[in-house]
Amino acid sequence: VVDQIRLWQIENERMKATPGFLFRDFENQKEYEGCSRYADEIGVLIWKNDAKRMFFVTRHEQLRDYIKSRKVK
Amino acid sequence: MPRAIRGVLVECDPSIKSIIVKIDSEEHAYIVEELDDQTLVIKENMMSMLKARLEDALKETQQPADDSGSD
Repeated sequence: VVDQIRLWQIENERMKATPGFLFRDFENQKEYEGCSRYADEIGVLIWKNDAKRMFFVTRHEQLRDYIKSRKVK
Repeated sequence: MPRAIRGVLVECDPSIKSIIVKIDSEEHAYIVEELDDQTLVIKENMMSMLKARLEDALKETQQPADDSGSD
């Protein structure tokens, strides 16, 4: 029982919560890759999944501008 | 155009995640998106509520034994 409690405590501490924005619904792989790479370069990317074409960033303003500028091209 | 959804990225053990999913299944008030077995996105304004519910759930799971001599 004691071991079980200790396990729960460890798991509790392992929970990490980071506020930000989930980006999803990219039109294609190229758009996803470009945006996730840019997010990584500016240091806001904290999670991504290539298969799902989703990623999570801590800030979105700069990335929003980048996505808009891509669309204009 | 991709969508940006505001939320809190929660990274935890699969066992904790499954408890969060179970809490959410009652009213679907917490989870924005399940990402994988250790990661999910939670509605920002529901985070404190979820933490409280999670603590309650963990208390129920573990025995109410206080073996450490703390006070």
